[in-house]
Parts: sequence; C-alpha cells; structure tokens
Amino acid sequence: MKVKAKLKGAVVKVKAMFKSPMAGTEEAEKKKIKPEYITHIVAKHNGKVVYEVSTGAFVSKNPLFKFEFKGGAKGDELEMTTTDNNGKTETKKAKIK
Amino acid sequence: MDRRKFLSLGAIAVAVMPFSLSAVDFRATKPKSWESDAVDAAIEELYGKDKPTAGSITVKTPKIAENGGSIPVNIKSKLDLESIAIFQDANPRATVAVYTVPENGIVNYSMRIKMKKTGTITVVGKTRDGKLYSTTKGVEVSIGGCGG
Repeated sequence: MKVKAKLKGAVVKVKAMFKSPMAGTEEAEKKKIKPEYITHIVAKHNGKVVYEVSTGAFVSKNPLFKFEFKGGAKGDELEMTTTDNNGKTETKKAKIK
Repeated sequence: MDRRKFLSLGAIAVAVMPFSLSAVDFRATKPKSWESDAVDAAIEELYGKDKPTAGSITVKTPKIAENGGSIPVNIKSKLDLESIAIFQDANPRATVAVYTVPENGIVNYSMRIKMKKTGTITVVGKTRDGKLYSTTKGVEVSIGGCGG
C-alpha cells in the first residue's frame, strides 16, 4: 500500500494505491486463483473517519483512489486500513506533507 | 496528581474515545445489493424504493475507454450527501463501490473501475435528509476488462 497526503490550502489531497488482484468469482475462475478483492477502505485523521468506501470486485486491479478532506495540518498522521474478502486487514500510516 | 498518573489517564481517555464515528461497511449491512445483476434492483436494495432525481452529481469518465480493466471515474457533488454509490450494467453484478461521506466531507472521489463491455455507469447519492439524486454516463469500452 502506498499513501500520499498533501496539504493544499485548507484541503488535504490524498492519493492511495493498494496492492490487490481485485479478482471476483468469475475472474478468479478464469485465472485459476482464489477470489481476492478489497471490500472496505477507511482513512482516519486524529481518530476521525475522513474517508470510507465499501468496494466490490469491479474496481480495477491494484486500485488507485483519490480523495480530499478538510481539517488536516502539516505533519499530521493519516491512517488507512483496508479489509479484503478473506478478512485480511492492512494498515498504513502516512504523514501529511 | 503526579505526572505518571496524569499520563495514564490520558491513555485511557484515548482508548475510550469512539474508534470510528461513521464506519458503515455496506458489504455487511446490505449484502443483497452486492449480488444484484441489475442496476435498478441494486439501487433498490441499497437505498430503498424512492426514485432518484436526475442531476446534481457530476461524473467524469472518458467517452471511449481503451482498456476496460482500468477506467478512471471521478465523482463530484456539492450536495450534503450521506453516501454515494457507483453502479454499472456491463459486469455480472451491478454494484462497484459505495462511499460513506463523513460530516463536512468533500464529495470529490476518483477511482478506477473495470467494465467487461460497453455500458452505462450510474452514480446515486443520498443526502442527509433522505433525498436521492443520480447521474448516468455511457462509456464505450474497446477491450473488456474483468479478465475477459
């Protein structure tokens, strides 16, 4: 997972890239792998949820998400957590630049 | 109060603080809407039977997507939305993603989606007072994604 957060004016712009094949049932069958896709992504700033999305298998492979939020400051930490269909979670922290 | 005690109090306060204020996993709360193959049925499962009003949400996609495996989609809205969802009619199941918009959140989300063939993307948003809005956009896909 790669997370980049940058303060621009009053808004923090975040780019996040996740590593996942994002293969649903049909696609996994074709590629002969186990279905594996991210189902839930949450970003937190100072313990407050600033971004949240539930996803399905039709998000592209190694997905890139962009979003913005208000109220961040330089040096603050942004914490991103993903959950996949097999229950695996991954967390990464990034400093706002 | 000595310093050590004071610090441990702080640690307890942090631990007690609600871990997430608005966490809603739509896959857990609305599992049926992820299984629907029709856009209308998926919207009904997710947001109920109300018909959405057209407009008020901007959807940016390329008109012709060369690679169906990675179609950039940007959604923007100035409405005070509670949640916003992306659907399409080209894949085996209709729902792609459902965003929960935090209080004072900015609705300006970009992501990349997969489409098996040429189809229509439907974005539906629900405002905090329960009104539904939607925008549709056609995308022409030259080479299908989704492992096809």
